[in-house]
Amino acid sequence: MFIVSILTGSVFGQFVGRDDLSVALFYFKKNELDSAKKYVDLASTNDALKATAKTWYYRGFVYKELYKKKDKENKTSAFRIASIDAFEKMLILNDTSEFTQSAAKILKYEAATLYNDAVRMLDLENYKTALSNYALFRKTMLLADAKTNMVVRDVKFKLALASMLSQPLDSVSRVDSIKTYQVKKLYSEVLAMDVNNPGANYNLGILYYNEAAEIINNMDYDMDIMSLGAVEDYCIEMFLKSLPFMKKSYELEYKRRETLIGMSNIYYGLNDLEKYEAYKKELQDLEKEE
Amino acid sequence: MKKIAIILVSLLILNSGFKIGVDTNSKMKAIFIMNFTKLIEWPQPYREGNFIVGFVGDSPLYSELTRMSKTKKVANQSLQIKKFNSVKDINKCHILYVSQNKSEDINSVVKRLKPHSTLIITEKIGLVDKGAGINFIIKNNRQKFELNKKNVEKYKLKISSNLEALAFTVK
Repeated sequence: MFIVSILTGSVFGQFVGRDDLSVALFYFKKNELDSAKKYVDLASTNDALKATAKTWYYRGFVYKELYKKKDKENKTSAFRIASIDAFEKMLILNDTSEFTQSAAKILKYEAATLYNDAVRMLDLENYKTALSNYALFRKTMLLADAKTNMVVRDVKFKLALASMLSQPLDSVSRVDSIKTYQVKKLYSEVLAMDVNNPGANYNLGILYYNEAAEIINNMDYDMDIMSLGAVEDYCIEMFLKSLPFMKKSYELEYKRRETLIGMSNIYYGLNDLEKYEAYKKELQDLEKEE
Repeated sequence: MKKIAIILVSLLILNSGFKIGVDTNSKMKAIFIMNFTKLIEWPQPYREGNFIVGFVGDSPLYSELTRMSKTKKVANQSLQIKKFNSVKDINKCHILYVSQNKSEDINSVVKRLKPHSTLIITEKIGLVDKGAGINFIIKNNRQKFELNKKNVEKYKLKISSNLEALAFTVK
């Protein structure tokens, strides 16, 4: 017992009078991250320490190191989230600008890892995690620099996500209606940011066209004329919704061949055979040129 | 970072494709024709054997009707789609569809079908006044049909009042 008390006394003796944050830094310098974490956690619950930006800065720093050294492969790492939260609190307190530049640098690093993880998870199984990582990436980038222009990244990510969601699992299966709704919403969001985005216009045109075409394709031959009229009204509405997006794609000269097929198909669906023939001829002329 | 860029680019170049093999116009017409078989009554001798839909001219509707005949019946009669290469080849059928590119043959078609109980369907404006019983038209982007009662009834066919109600115009 005597030996134990001497040993413990010798370990803790050097911390007498030092606050939890100082102890955390002591362990951090010795690269003992778990102990650093323990004391920085204590510091962030201490009334006096939690009121200073310095505490949150070091908490963010310690957790960033924990993520980097122990949890890098974890795409939903709690260490990374805790680090970003700590820097956010630091910026809110804003009682000194001493750490701002360094925090911004770390936040940008963390944002980059979040973005990479979001893109890597753009598949049908993981896209919800990709979405939350992307949302956290956005937030982190804006914490690092509130003036960051996110439009280009947002557009690219939404287009990639919409494109991934549009791909059926195999050539036979159909994309379900919930996913179709999500994809339409994503393309509409892209167009709200970039009205002339060719991919969003083209794909939105196709989505509305396909919705009508699929309904018509699945109609039973025994459908009565009254019901047929109602279904036809809905399909015409979809063709008409499709038209301005495909027309914009045509004006932007995006994927000319596919867009001409799109224009002729839409007009055929609208029973406007004159315009259908005109776009079909333009397509034939293009194919001759090629 | 290079790998991430590749993932993004590969996703961005994927585009949705058009539903292929969907002929919206022909599918609509096929459903209309199926309805006509239910809303028109043929004389007793025509209620046995196959229910024959004859076809003159070229139109994607022929393929659609052929597809329909594989799964559908008219009452208990099997549906048969028969293509006639020329007007002189036309013989007994329940319905004869004259596609747009054969519209100028309407007079010969009418003469040819005189001894039969055949509903003549066309798809060109004005043909309902030249012997067609039903003519498909487009109104406000929608597929509609005109009905000439006289041209139907002279072939001993009975029209249901529902069909009249559904026609865009009745003559």
